[in-house]
Amino acid sequence: MSGQDALQSTELRDFTQMLSEVFTSGDDHRIGEVVELDRALWSTLTELGLDRLTGSEESGGSGAGWREAALLLEATGGAAAAVPVAENDLLAGWLLETVGLDVTPGVRTAAVLDADGRARHVPWARFADSIVVLWESPQGWQVAEVARGDVELVEAVNLAAEPRDHLRVDLSALSGRDVPAGVADEFRYRGALARALASAGAMDRILELVVEHTTARVQFGRPLGKFQAVQALVADLATEASLAHAAADAAVDAVLAGGFGDASTRFAIAAAASCAGHAASIVARNAHQALGAIGFTMEHELHRHANRILSWRSEFGTVSSWDAELLAAAGEAGDVWALITGGPAR
Amino acid sequence: MSARLVPRAGTPDPALTELRAEVRAFLKEQIDAGVFTPGIDTWLTRWNPEFTRALAARGWVGMTIPVEYGGHGRTFMERFVVTEELLAVGAPVAAQWVADRQAAPSLLKYGTEEQKQRFLPGIAAGEICWAIGMSEPDSGSDLASVKTKATRVDGGWRISGTKLWTSGAHHADAFFGLARSAPLDPAHRHDGLSQFIVLLDSPGVTIRPILSMSGDHHFNEVLLDDVFVPDDLVLGQIGAGWEQVTSELGYERSGPERFLSTFGVLESLVHGVVDGSVEPDTRIGATIGRIAGMHRMSTAVSESLERGENAELAASVVKVLGTKTEGDLADLADEIAGYTAADAHLAELVRAGVMQRPGFTLRGGTSEILRGVIARGLGMR
Repeated sequence: MSGQDALQSTELRDFTQMLSEVFTSGDDHRIGEVVELDRALWSTLTELGLDRLTGSEESGGSGAGWREAALLLEATGGAAAAVPVAENDLLAGWLLETVGLDVTPGVRTAAVLDADGRARHVPWARFADSIVVLWESPQGWQVAEVARGDVELVEAVNLAAEPRDHLRVDLSALSGRDVPAGVADEFRYRGALARALASAGAMDRILELVVEHTTARVQFGRPLGKFQAVQALVADLATEASLAHAAADAAVDAVLAGGFGDASTRFAIAAAASCAGHAASIVARNAHQALGAIGFTMEHELHRHANRILSWRSEFGTVSSWDAELLAAAGEAGDVWALITGGPAR
Repeated sequence: MSARLVPRAGTPDPALTELRAEVRAFLKEQIDAGVFTPGIDTWLTRWNPEFTRALAARGWVGMTIPVEYGGHGRTFMERFVVTEELLAVGAPVAAQWVADRQAAPSLLKYGTEEQKQRFLPGIAAGEICWAIGMSEPDSGSDLASVKTKATRVDGGWRISGTKLWTSGAHHADAFFGLARSAPLDPAHRHDGLSQFIVLLDSPGVTIRPILSMSGDHHFNEVLLDDVFVPDDLVLGQIGAGWEQVTSELGYERSGPERFLSTFGVLESLVHGVVDGSVEPDTRIGATIGRIAGMHRMSTAVSESLERGENAELAASVVKVLGTKTEGDLADLADEIAGYTAADAHLAELVRAGVMQRPGFTLRGGTSEILRGVIARGLGMR
């Protein structure tokens, strides 16, 4: 398979084509407001089976894998889509299936609760029908589904005005199902990979906006893109976005090859989160610099993507925590190169 | 964006993993036997003909050269894997580098049958060394401005001019000299250039050392004073030099030497963190993540070259990112360990990294020019 583009299969090409029809960049009807769940888009996703893309077919899901999920997440990122695809399918749906609970139709998010039953910055919680929670009880890790009405909720948003609410759940009222500790670990890796993929999609859209602007906008008698300094800004943005893509691709391949429990998968996800997180600085900064004050305004599309990638990089772990994890993994492996290539130690 | 600047890499091939293991085992033997000490930027600075011949004996030089020319008929990806292993460990590979990376592919693509038979078996055996004859005192990245002149004479060409920064010319057998074979037409600057196989022991060739700031001798100035090159040593077509050189640069820019030149520093820093002599700075982790991403990108570019695609844009992306990262790594090691590092090997790598760093982002085309290539690829110019 070496050298074969993984996306050359007919099914994946058709899937990519469908995504490009469902997710269209540019339109936005939420200017100046907290981003609301896009119910119309969610209905479309539900009709197409994209809301529970990786759920098992027995539980009403579409039975797809991370390859397809990656394409979907990149598409949602590129379109700044206001839908909890990662939360509903890859986190909440996955947790419910893990403990053998039914996945009834609905909008879900998921959260890890602390010992007081609190969770901060939970994505989309106010719009969810229920929240699947994961917490460590004295008996071990537990999973339960809680109706939105049974949760104390304080509204909050991230830098991109996406709902990131603070929750409190009465743990004593919950009856959970046991899961091994590894499930809580996996939650963080799944979330981080989902954000890295969506970020890569958003960076593509940012690059597109920047190229459009710098080729169209004339200053000092010529298009901005003719200035070498502007070319350098955009090239650096593009190279960082490419790196974020490559690292995210590698992580998806690692998931497909070894699952989330595998040390090399966790290394690859940490690398993807780190690359996407660091890239976000340069991509957001250079894009704003290239667009001047125009990109800084509420009317312009740029901030929707730029603020998202800046927000997403601190969900499911800070950039620095992933950097620290990479260093720790390297120290443990002893042979850094073997770790990077996934091959045998020297 | 409909098309990515760097294609997606394919899924890993188990046969390549096996090859990696073989090369690793061999390199470990060589280090343990004291044949070489891992270093920094060794594809430029460590010239070790014995080691190169030992590699050749294993079939790891001239891997993609067809068997009928003494090569091994292996794939570009197999060569890529071996190359990565050699670089990651910091093996002394300068003696084979240009011959294997650029000269062989160019000879295969543009050379005559006679030229292939004459040079390729020696390259594959690790016995023929090559240098690069592109840059000049007044012409760095802007190769269209070369002033070296080729004048038609009976049975060949007379070449005069000065080539600069020719790494390893004092050891090399030959280079492809880029010269102007027709007067410069300002409207078509890329026309009228040609490539000549210049044997560096030819009468009229003078090679003068140019010491780098560390005091080491890798660079040279090569003076060509009316050097005769017979017709049978013209590479490709007279007048097609620009196109040929551009294709050669694809090989020069895409390889893992663009992000692994200082990899040994990273290994040493991690060992320092483990034994407590280096602070656990998260920037070390960030660099590991970047290099993991670049390994993936560079793999994708090699796969693209294997498919015979034009990889100029993707190679430029890897080179800009990679040379910045390998240089930043040298600086990071200097900041957190320094040349005063207690570990003598790390201290030596820090020194070597800092001294070599300025070259990373300029050799093979400066980052500034390559950013322009990327901007062109994006449709900005």
